[in-house]
Amino acid sequence: MEHETIPGIGKSGTFSWGRIAKHMAILFVLLAVWEYVTATGIADELMFPQPTEIVLSVWPLYGSPGIVWYHLWVTMATVLAGFVVGTVLGIVLAALVGMSESTRRYLQPYIIILEATPRIAMGPLVLAWLGFGFGAKLAIVTLVCFFAPFVNTLTGILSANEPQIELMKSMGASKWQILTKAMVPDAMPLIMAGIRLAMASALGGALVAEFISSNDGMGVLMQNLTAVLNMPAAFATLLSLTIVGFILYRLMEMIEGTVVFWQNDDGMRRASRRREKYWRSL
Amino acid sequence: MTLGAVKIEPGVKKAQIGGKLEQSQNDQGKMNPSSPRGQTVIEGQGVSKLFGETVVALDGATFNVRKQQFISLVGPSGCGKSTLLRMISGLIPVSSGTLELHGELVQRPRPDVGMMFQKPTLLAWRTILENVLLPTELSRKVTAEDRDHALELLELVGLADFAFSFPSQLSGGMQQRAALARLLQTGADVLLLDEPFGALDEFTRERLNVELLRIVEKFERTTLFVTHNIQEAIFLADQVFVMTPRPGRIAAVIDVPFERPRDPELMQSVPFNDLVGQVRKIFGNAAH
Repeated sequence: MEHETIPGIGKSGTFSWGRIAKHMAILFVLLAVWEYVTATGIADELMFPQPTEIVLSVWPLYGSPGIVWYHLWVTMATVLAGFVVGTVLGIVLAALVGMSESTRRYLQPYIIILEATPRIAMGPLVLAWLGFGFGAKLAIVTLVCFFAPFVNTLTGILSANEPQIELMKSMGASKWQILTKAMVPDAMPLIMAGIRLAMASALGGALVAEFISSNDGMGVLMQNLTAVLNMPAAFATLLSLTIVGFILYRLMEMIEGTVVFWQNDDGMRRASRRREKYWRSL
Repeated sequence: MTLGAVKIEPGVKKAQIGGKLEQSQNDQGKMNPSSPRGQTVIEGQGVSKLFGETVVALDGATFNVRKQQFISLVGPSGCGKSTLLRMISGLIPVSSGTLELHGELVQRPRPDVGMMFQKPTLLAWRTILENVLLPTELSRKVTAEDRDHALELLELVGLADFAFSFPSQLSGGMQQRAALARLLQTGADVLLLDEPFGALDEFTRERLNVELLRIVEKFERTTLFVTHNIQEAIFLADQVFVMTPRPGRIAAVIDVPFERPRDPELMQSVPFNDLVGQVRKIFGNAAH
């Protein structure tokens, strides 16, 4: 999801009404075609509800009785808890493993095997170990969120910039100074990319976990709505998840841009002004 | 411009045959009246470096460097010039022989020795000023005086307007200027430069070389400069250590008689090119 694909924002970042209008026109045509083929019975209306039906079903979901809120809350709690636990575990373990050359060497094959294993396939196993409920759900999301930060942090530490470390040594830096002033910031872009990937898989992981092991959450809501063939509401629920996914992604992108500010021009400009102010006031 | 006699180290032949270069070289150092300035700062006696059991990176280097001398170490890859520099810096230990700095054995990196590499290795997340202040920051809290000193150094290397820019916003040549300012900020009086401008284009390199000479003279530093470019080595140095590979050794020490300050036009002169020829010949002999 790059900036240039956001409607109304050109490559240069300028806002253009003409562009917006074009996007709107295309969207309108798509919706109109969809409405037409379902209304005339070319597509089965039961399976593919008309856009107008979907819009109408938003009210019972969000307004009254507003069943979506509870499920949304449950899913988001799972996503965030699993994301935090998985990411922190991943980064801390990678830092520990990365420090010792021999640990790294002996663990390497297992890391490769685990990386090749689809994490979501372990869901039923986790369910068998932890039983039905929130614990299993949390464990599955944690599992899904663990690997990207783990692998990226490890890579970041291993691909340490040798000349930089040698230079720090020649200036008499301690091990701790080398770690905190050079290695960690140097690995930061990779670590942040890992965290962003973790967040991207957290929502999907939570939904699958709910499919197999839950009484509530958006995954359960989707299942229940499709089970009673309330397709308009199911589509509206899916749309909610799209919006949630989009917000989470953009949020992570913003955080990443702030943390590794030196990788984008805007970030550097802002940091530059801040630092100049600081040094001038010293 | 004084065009003094070019002295080729008489021990060259011996070095190729038996590696008994040490004595004659030392003698030359002591006897040579044209070698300028001061007391011995760095002294190596039979300094060798082995990597593993069999790889001899440097074999019995005996040399001395006096205060405020500018020494160029020139030779092809594998001649041990970078290895020698790293041993002097204390980054890697010597395998045998003794290496002394101000009369003390070199055992670890010391604050009075500073290093600069082919890559600027600036920290991307720090402004240029903060990069220059890094050596200070490693030992104590940075003060307003440190800031002013660093800003002066940035002015000196022509980066006054870029103190609050980030490294990626600077060209390669400017990044190396920043690295030079950082090196001076360490306050080290021995500067070890490992092909510092090797990655830059010809024009930038020549300009930076001239500026480097101006700066080390102004600050009265002792300088060891590693390069594989013979012209560059001679242009900069008071003395050139000519190094040959397999095993790496100092094959000759050549005095460079040209007066300072030096102008790049010197490189067009006949005596200069005679000297280049002499160095080339040493490499040619070593290859057989």
